This record gives sequence, structure tokens and C-alpha cells, in this order.
Amino acid sequence: MSVCVDYAYKSLNKYQEELCGDKVEFLRTDDFSIFILADGMGSGVKANILATLTVKILGTMFKNGAGLEECVETIIRTLPVCQVRHVAYSTFTILQIFDDGNAYLVEFDNPSCIFIRDGLLVPIPANERTIADKTINEYRFRVKEGDVFVLTSDGVTHAGMGQTMNFGWGWENAAHYAEGIADGSMSAARMADRFCQACEDLYIGRMGDDTTAAVIRIIGKRAVAIFSGPPQHKEDDEAAVEKFMSLQGRKVICGGTSARITSRILKRPLRTSLDYIDPDVPPLAWMEGMDLVTEGILTLRKVVEMLESCVDHRTSGNFFQRLDEKDGGSRLAKLLLEDCTHLELIVGTAINAAYQVQNLPIDFAARMELIGRLKTAVERLGKQVEVTYY
Amino acid sequence: MVVSICIGSSCHLKGSREVVREMSALVKEKQVEQEVELIGSFCNGQCLGDVCVTIDGEIFSLKPEDTKEFFEKEIMGRIRG
Repeated sequence: MSVCVDYAYKSLNKYQEELCGDKVEFLRTDDFSIFILADGMGSGVKANILATLTVKILGTMFKNGAGLEECVETIIRTLPVCQVRHVAYSTFTILQIFDDGNAYLVEFDNPSCIFIRDGLLVPIPANERTIADKTINEYRFRVKEGDVFVLTSDGVTHAGMGQTMNFGWGWENAAHYAEGIADGSMSAARMADRFCQACEDLYIGRMGDDTTAAVIRIIGKRAVAIFSGPPQHKEDDEAAVEKFMSLQGRKVICGGTSARITSRILKRPLRTSLDYIDPDVPPLAWMEGMDLVTEGILTLRKVVEMLESCVDHRTSGNFFQRLDEKDGGSRLAKLLLEDCTHLELIVGTAINAAYQVQNLPIDFAARMELIGRLKTAVERLGKQVEVTYY
Repeated sequence: MVVSICIGSSCHLKGSREVVREMSALVKEKQVEQEVELIGSFCNGQCLGDVCVTIDGEIFSLKPEDTKEFFEKEIMGRIRG
């Protein structure tokens, strides 16, 4: 069995803080994915440093095969000691998911991981042990497709405390809310956003603590193949299209010339629309067997900007509304963000001399830059990317 | 007749959206919907000129501000014979 994950997180900063004291780290090795959420003591700079150190140490050590004891001891010895409280402290949750379906959950003082299977909450059994005077809960289990995990900081369970609720949202209520929205089809990104929105509403926009939710879904492999840009040598057109057609999953052509090449080689007509949904993005086209056919560079620019805003957590309130729009850029961004685990890019490197001469912002360098940014953004969103150049 | 307007990256930046908008309005205004079919096309390899427009395969290069004049001369001219 080989499992794939769909992962996203969102953090809300404590009211009037510029830095978040919660930190989420995602790492991928050849045979497992690892998610770490740390909540540094206090707030602002100090908490941010503690949480960052914690996720980085844990991540690096786990990635290199260190055991839990070593990791915990290293953190305790390494974290700077708070001058006010005379302790070095950061709570954390680690979820390690192996590609073969085995999973390992480690919890230290964070709210317990919300685990939803077949649409219902599954309690995490208590299996505590003490490492360097810290009580840590461990859980080894197997994941199955459809499982949803929500790792949270205590800003979630305390949401609304003293504002809309006497004692805050509480773990039970938060978990039931997650259970209610995890309908099996909602992406991790949308779910993390919705979940944090609920917290923000309870806090009436003034968070009493840093608030973070990391959502991890176990899903089947969802491959997307994109063909963008004409090959450098015309005689490679056929090889590029053949390679593109041999790939599994949804097929997207991102480029007018690439679409024409594909149409010519496959002898499939290309129909182009004149409908401008977004004035900055040229209209869509259709070809038999293709899930999406768009113009190239201007569309890619929109896709990259939308995905980067997601990576950097700069998404504003209406991000998902924009993502649901029907122009080529939004459609492709949505496909990559919400319905893709593996992306394969077939990129042509031909130089259109006409672009260079006229000094248009769509030259060769622009395409290569966008492809590089797209690759980085999609990888940072937790997906695997491969690029082949022609 | 088939009038195709290039909506590729280069033509888009040179204003194909305005050409599409104006041509669509002119087709309605002159009531020639039966005679003229407007379609979009991806790059025609004419990126050095202005917006690439073809009428039944014949290639023209058009600045958006000249759309009205072009429509009158090339399209209405053909319809009138």
C-alpha cells in the first residue's frame, strides 16, 4: 500500500503580535512525510524562536532517523531558558506517516490530535511515557484512505475565552466542528482555513493566543501533468507530446503554442473561447482528452501568485472564493492546490524571438522563472514535483 | 465568414480583449450575426505585429484603436461585396 497526503495549515497571530509563536514544519523523505506543530511559550519573538527551534531540531533529527528520546533530550538541552520563567519550553505534536501506511503520533502538552476516520472522531489512546521529566504520549497505528488529522495549538481550544465563551471553545467542540466539516471531499487547505475562521469568529477577530490548525488528509494518489512551452527543437515536438500523453492523471496544456503543437500531432481540433472571465487572463480552450487548456505565461503568473500567497499564508478572506472562479488561472491553481499529490511538468525551452525583440514581459526568462517558482510553491504545499525539459 | 482573433500571450498584451469586445459589439450593431462568426485562436506565430486577426484564413495585424475602421473596411466591405 502506498498512501498520499494532502496537507495544509493556517495560523492566526495573537492580537497585535507581528510574529506567531506557533510553528508548523513539513518534511518529506523517500519513505515518509512528517508534520510537526510546536507552540512556543509566551508570544511574539520569544515564542517564535522557541517554536522555530523546536520544529527545526525535531524535523532534522527525525528525518535522519534519530529516536524520540534523543530528540526530546536535545530540545530540552538546546532551547534557551526564559529569564522570566526560568524554563525552556515549547509544546509539540509530531505526526509521522510512512508511505506504507504506518503512522507514529507523538504528543507533548498540545491539545490532542483530532483524528477522524469514516467521518467519525477516533479518540487517541493514552500511552504515556516519561522522557527527561516530560510526559509524552505516543501512538502507533495504521492510516487508511479518508483519514483526517487536525493538529492544533491551544489557541484553538481556548478560542473565545472571556469573549464569547467563559472557558473557550474546548477540545470537544473544536473536534466536533472538524468532524462536521470533514466531508471527505474538502481539501486540507480549505478545511484549515474554515477551521481557523471559526476560531477567529469566536475571538471576534482579537485572538487571545496564537492559534494554529494543521490539517492532514490521507488520500489516494492524484496526478496532474502539465505541458507548457514549445520544445527548443521542433523535431522534439512529437517526443514531448508523446511523453505528456503517456503520463497518468489529469492533463493540462498551459500555452497557446503548446496547445497548437498537441493539436497538430494528435490530430485533435482545438477550440478557443472568447469569454474573458478575468480581464488579465486570456480565455480558455478545449481539446478532446485534455482536462484544461489555457494560455501560457499570463495564466501561469496568476497560478504562481495564488499558490505563493497560500505558501506564505497571505491568503485573505476571499481567497477560496477567487479560487472557485472559472478563469484558466484560478482553475489551474485550484487543481494544483486542492486535487493534486503529484505534479509532472513537461516544459519546452524554445525562445520566441518575437517576444524578445518587442520587450514584452512574457519572454523566455519569464517562462523559466515562473516554472521555477511554480515548482517551489507546489513542493512547499506538500506535493511531489518532477520537471522534464525539452 | 470566419473572423478569428488571436488571444495568445503576446496579442493579449497588445489588446486582443478590446478587439474582441469591440468586434462583438459591432457585429450586433450592424446586425451581421448571420454573416460573421467570431472565434478565438491561440498563437498564430505572428507575434511581431499588432493583434493578429484572420478573415477566412487571410492574416491581418490590427491595433485595438483601429478596430472600427478595420471592421468597416475589411468585414463590412466583404459583406457588401
